[in-house]
Amino acid sequence: MARGWVAFCGLVLAFAALCGGARAATPPQRIVSLNLCGDQLAWMLAGRGRIAALSHLARSAELSYVAPQVADVPIVQGAAEEILPLAPDLVLAGRYTAKPTVAFLRAKGVPILELSIPQDFAGIRDQVRRVARALGAEPRGEALIAAMDAALAEPAPRRDGPRPVGVAWQAGGFTAGAGTLTDAVLNAAGLDNLATRSGLRGHGYLTLEAVVAGRPDVLIADAALPTQPSLRQALLQHPALTRPGALGRRVTVPAPLLACGTPATAEAVRLLRAALAEGTAR
Amino acid sequence: MTANPITARLLPGALALLVLALFVGSLSVGPSAVGLGTALGDLLAGADTTAAVIVAEIRLPRALLGVGVGATLGLAGAALQGLLRNPLAEPGVVGVSPFAALGAVIAFYSGLSGTFALALPLGGILGALLAVGLLYALAGRGGGMLTLVLAGMALSSLAGALTSLALSLSPNPFALAEIVFWLLGSLADRSLTHVWLAVPFMAVGWALLLTAGRHLDALTLGELTARSLGVDLGRLRLRIVLGTALAVGAAVAVSGTIGFVGLIVPHLVRPLVGWQPGRLLLPSALGGAALTLAADIAVRLPGGAELKLGVVTALIGAPFFLALVLRTRGSAA
Repeated sequence: MARGWVAFCGLVLAFAALCGGARAATPPQRIVSLNLCGDQLAWMLAGRGRIAALSHLARSAELSYVAPQVADVPIVQGAAEEILPLAPDLVLAGRYTAKPTVAFLRAKGVPILELSIPQDFAGIRDQVRRVARALGAEPRGEALIAAMDAALAEPAPRRDGPRPVGVAWQAGGFTAGAGTLTDAVLNAAGLDNLATRSGLRGHGYLTLEAVVAGRPDVLIADAALPTQPSLRQALLQHPALTRPGALGRRVTVPAPLLACGTPATAEAVRLLRAALAEGTAR
Repeated sequence: MTANPITARLLPGALALLVLALFVGSLSVGPSAVGLGTALGDLLAGADTTAAVIVAEIRLPRALLGVGVGATLGLAGAALQGLLRNPLAEPGVVGVSPFAALGAVIAFYSGLSGTFALALPLGGILGALLAVGLLYALAGRGGGMLTLVLAGMALSSLAGALTSLALSLSPNPFALAEIVFWLLGSLADRSLTHVWLAVPFMAVGWALLLTAGRHLDALTLGELTARSLGVDLGRLRLRIVLGTALAVGAAVAVSGTIGFVGLIVPHLVRPLVGWQPGRLLLPSALGGAALTLAADIAVRLPGGAELKLGVVTALIGAPFFLALVLRTRGSAA
């Protein structure tokens, strides 16, 4: 039994070495992603057939855009010893994915592609092109970018008066200011980000008073889970915000659209524009 | 300890004025530059402006709870010190507030208060009741200062641990970080709903405690003498236990555990009103309101992130507590 396993592993390793040698010629066929954003890009660009495993977050409905489609794809928790036997010929890792694991895989000759964290739509285009090149899926990558740009190019609803104000206000008052993907999404939708206007750079907090004082036309806030209460989410239901006239509209943007910069992020822009258009029509 | 009778008579009025001034101060301070004058003008004119909303729905509940919670803690501290005839008694130090927090945590994170709003104050009251009962059983009769402090410490640690456990078991990912609120207290971003939930229970508790003054005075002469003066000790105990549980339980359920207010205030007031615990009650309630309002204004002053209220009261209160321990040790020796 044990001898059989040794032989099997030897075979797997030999196969991996062969694949590694042939990498330049054929695109990777056994892709492993260790990162939520890598999971989604790999799925969009390469498809099921060439994916050996995705990260465990890929199946999270709260975080992953592709969660419904990847239920039968094998997942890894991210430990080197579960990744090596998969004999990957490309590993997608985030910039902050467990450094020791990535270093170990690299030392074993596994090709690694480190993803960046896009802060705007130009960043998303760069990322998609880079990953598409590594996966040998350039035409698919260009198609995804074209679809994203088409969605972005749809005209924003026309409004008279000053630019409408929006803010993405999460549990506990956490928000995104200048230089974040959320900021880029708000701007693309034709909204002025209240957090950026208040001087916030990167991610941080905005007080309830600041949000009420800003009277945003659009508030992106997830509804509190009634069965799993928390004080932080209760803040989003404060009477000063839920009273009529406190803000224009409350919009739910699915978290996966903002969690990772992917071509799907354009959908968030579309949702916000639709909400604004409805607000104007009223 | 002799007190100037004129000081004693003027004290409640002076403290009430102080509370009023701090209340106005609390309405004026906040992260957004909204002036109280503008907001009041808008409110009186019935205009639905941003300034009006910020003052009426964000700052007003905060100031009202500052008064209510502070008065509760000051009053309960004075009453417990009178009942236990022990200067170190205080709702936070002896474990009543931590148990109230535990009750409120269970009511809130189980989702019970989402379907039945009164579950939040009732949870706090049940927790407080349990703690006062346990405390009285452990250290009530003839127990020395040491017994009370040790029993209180054990109850506080137990309640803190159970609160952390309850929050760790909550399925909500944010719950664990909210330990800070329950253990250190805060009045930030409370709403008028919280005021309506807590104030009726607090008011009943205050009534029970404030009317116990004469009997507490008699108790200072010893249980036998008090009984001979016609004091029903069983009823007095029940009154203080219930009053403390109702007021502190409801207060903690909406503000978290704010420590040391009930310790500091009666000791600051005592030299001014004399030795009678009965005379101490009303000034302690007013003083507690003033101290809590002042601390809550201090946490909002510009300069970084907002501190938790309990941090400020503990920074003032803990050294005070140590000084008190040293002093009582000196007088006992």
